[in-house]
Amino acid sequence: MAAMPLRAGRQATTGACQSIGVNKQQTASLSTTAALWKRHVYKGARDNADHSKNRGESALRRTGTRWRLSMSDEPLPKPVPRDQLPPIETDPNHGLWEFFANRKTVANPPTEDAKHGRSWTVEELRHKSWDDLHRLWWVCVKERNRIATANWERNKSKLGFGESEARERDMMVRGTMKAIKHVLTERYYAWEDAVKLAEKDPEVNLSGDGPTFTPREFFEEDQEAAALEEPAVSPMGEAVEQTEPGTGATLDPATIPSSKPQSEAPRI
Amino acid sequence: MQPTRALLGMRYRKLRLTTKDINKGYYKGTRTGSMGRHTKKGGYIIEWHKVRTYVCPPLDGFKLTPFVTNNMPRTFGQYSGDPLGPKSPALYLARWKAENGLD
Repeated sequence: MAAMPLRAGRQATTGACQSIGVNKQQTASLSTTAALWKRHVYKGARDNADHSKNRGESALRRTGTRWRLSMSDEPLPKPVPRDQLPPIETDPNHGLWEFFANRKTVANPPTEDAKHGRSWTVEELRHKSWDDLHRLWWVCVKERNRIATANWERNKSKLGFGESEARERDMMVRGTMKAIKHVLTERYYAWEDAVKLAEKDPEVNLSGDGPTFTPREFFEEDQEAAALEEPAVSPMGEAVEQTEPGTGATLDPATIPSSKPQSEAPRI
Repeated sequence: MQPTRALLGMRYRKLRLTTKDINKGYYKGTRTGSMGRHTKKGGYIIEWHKVRTYVCPPLDGFKLTPFVTNNMPRTFGQYSGDPLGPKSPALYLARWKAENGLD
């Protein structure tokens, strides 16, 4: 019983060999002897009398393996050249695009990286509102992300240039971020001290009931002291308005005068 | 027996502090803070009020850049007469009275 499938396999393969001639490749996709001989068991699980796992297999007769191979008769797909593939659809407004300077290159050349100005000074940022500083901080964060992405790509490709320009640019952005922190810390300390000062100020009512601020001329109209104190207060107010103009709540960043000459002037 | 060359060449405290310099129980940390708490059985529970969330404000129409043109010289404040300068609480209060006065 055990020899019969072997003989049948040999007859089949020899016939195929004669017809094809010099073809030395395996012709049978799988061994037909296993199904006739015994119930199919995967390799390693077989425990027949002679303990031979490869009974009936022969490279000379090109029988193939005794166990089923994980293949089907369906024709395999053929690779398509890259230029014939349909274009990959991406979201043009995806947020990850902000990690790159443009859509064409992975990193800016050093000549482009070197085109930057100086960082903001603390005095320039003192005139900006909280919202402006908050947004400028995030603009800086995104710029640093862009620089870091370019650095990573440059290291990956081992380009060997551009580190110095990227470092200079990064230092300028970090200078701006440092100035933002300086301004906010300073403003917070000034606010803390101003609250202590306001507790002693008769014009300011911090208790929560009634108006918070009552100008002196409304409840001390008859006193001449008010007329004497007013000029002492007003120059301070004017000085404040001179040093910190346009910091109101409705400040539009597009109306900031420094942005216009910045866009017109060369950025080197 | 001699110490390593790193210890021979410089004063010891010029090296940065590691957990091996101090007795056990010292936690150096990564300056990042925790995001939850450990359980008795060795697990970890994330507490979402501890997890940091950074919200980027809308940047549409925002024209400021991290850079200022080099054509403009660096500007510094002139706070003559006030030793505290921009940190002056009187200045802050006067400006609050002039511009806000509400909250």
